[in-house]
Amino acid sequence: MKHVKFLSRTVLVQNNNVEEACRVLNRILGKEEIFDQYRRTRYYEKPFLVRRRINFEKCKAIYNEDMNRKIQMVLRKNRLDPFPGCH
Amino acid sequence: MSLSLKLTALSSLLNVLKTNVSNRTLTMSSALMDKKVSRGEDRKQMLASMPAKDEGTLGERTTLIDSLISAKQSIFPDGTTNTSAFNGQIFNDIPIIHVRVSKNNTIVCFTDAQGVPKIIRSCGIEGFKNTRKGTNIAAQATASTLSAKVVERGVKNVRITVRGLGPGRMSALKGIQMSGLNVVSVTDTTPVSWNPPRPRKARRL
Repeated sequence: MKHVKFLSRTVLVQNNNVEEACRVLNRILGKEEIFDQYRRTRYYEKPFLVRRRINFEKCKAIYNEDMNRKIQMVLRKNRLDPFPGCH
Repeated sequence: MSLSLKLTALSSLLNVLKTNVSNRTLTMSSALMDKKVSRGEDRKQMLASMPAKDEGTLGERTTLIDSLISAKQSIFPDGTTNTSAFNGQIFNDIPIIHVRVSKNNTIVCFTDAQGVPKIIRSCGIEGFKNTRKGTNIAAQATASTLSAKVVERGVKNVRITVRGLGPGRMSALKGIQMSGLNVVSVTDTTPVSWNPPRPRKARRL
């Protein structure tokens, strides 16, 4: 991650509100899994643990995708049958 | 007829006996298993019930980025930020305070705009020793004493870079701000690599 300093991963402070700026920065870095990668590389992660983690993440992503689809389906407002599966 | 009835009765009795026996063995084995597993389970439960360790990264777990980005585009620097003025000072000429945070210590260093170090201060120098070094209070005290010295030099605006995760991450910034310095920007310079050299072996807890 070689980028221009003070351009990448930088937040300008508005109205001298440092805490808010820092929170925005942390939020973005947390969301992009940069902190996770940092924490993960403090100690060597054995290959079997890497495999386990990757598989778990895959399963989680699939589950989340399906669950989101289901939720979107239930939340959809304009549909022919207003109460699907409730007969 | 009677014979067949008797036979069925006998077989049912046998069945009951079998199930009883099997049940007993099952319960026995499960009890044994419980004894073996219980240690690990207890520990896991204990760890699960513990509160998450505070690393001082406030806001990391919250969401709603997109709305915020669209609302305040100006909080992020662009190509013209380097040469634009903040409080009458060009961004590139504003001195920098580097904050280096780790689990057990916080080191705060004041440098000029080029990165030449002028003042350095750490929780250890501040008088906090051993485990007390790695607390947010120590970090705040360190940052505030350093920034008091910076203010004495006649500096008004600073840029801040933060490196690493630890309890001092937020509180050091708080200390800098409380001393009256005007913080222009906050940068994260945590070294993160996706293909790092092999780190040290994992801790065994």
